[in-house]
Amino acid sequence: MAINFLIVDDSSVMRSMIAKALQMSGIDLGAIHQAGNGKEGLDKLDEHVVDLAIVDITMPVMNGEEMIDCMRSRSDTNQIPVIVISNEGSEARIERLKEKKAWFIHKPFTPERIRDVINELVGRQNA
Amino acid sequence: MRYVVGVGDMKIGRAGDILVTHGLGSCLGLMLYDPVVKVGGMLHAMLPLSSVNPQKAESNPFMFVDTGVRLLFKEMYAFGGEKNRMKVKAVGCSQPADKNELFRIGERNYTILRKLLWKNSVLLEAEDIGGTISRTVFFEISSGRTVIVSAGNERLL
Repeated sequence: MAINFLIVDDSSVMRSMIAKALQMSGIDLGAIHQAGNGKEGLDKLDEHVVDLAIVDITMPVMNGEEMIDCMRSRSDTNQIPVIVISNEGSEARIERLKEKKAWFIHKPFTPERIRDVINELVGRQNA
Repeated sequence: MRYVVGVGDMKIGRAGDILVTHGLGSCLGLMLYDPVVKVGGMLHAMLPLSSVNPQKAESNPFMFVDTGVRLLFKEMYAFGGEKNRMKVKAVGCSQPADKNELFRIGERNYTILRKLLWKNSVLLEAEDIGGTISRTVFFEISSGRTVIVSAGNERLL
């Protein structure tokens, strides 16, 4: 089954890098939607079917944590797996994100790390 | 047949062959494997960039990561390997404790490799990189098995 992704990051360069890493990963890719902040990300979730969201934390307008809170409070988005890719250093915040069922990848990341986390997530979903 | 890949060297093997390289410290060891045609290649490159000595790079491109990696892929294609089936493994790039690693050769070898792979949309299947140890790699072409021996320990990559 092709997986539809949503990449939310205020840096277009970072969004392109993540999209390229997804294309390199060998995962069966559907659509890759992109948004520049949490609010735009929620709008994309309204407009499209998304199977997995990759979200940055520090963003203008609405940050990643607020976006994940909104996702988890809505019945149509609360089951969508989220991977946070961030240079977040606060252990407390990382723990909080994990409690919200988000996976965490530290920047700088390798494309292999993204592949491995997604494969693990997809494996869990299919299990 | 067993072939030893020396420093600044590259070899391609077919089913039944074993490629071995000894004493990978700051050098990069790169293994490519196509499991369909059962062809494998091993590179042992010393330095990151050929621009430091273009003449040397012309006479021995396998000394350098940038020229060596490109040629290794080309050789694999010539032997029937295909990029979309290629399994890529990297070993070495350490910072040997007994050497003055002022120039951080291992780290730079790895950086250049990562740049080349990223540019060419290639992911690593596995890696054993960094640290201060020296590694010997055995690469069995029939199975694609890659075994690393270092400090008396043997492990599968």
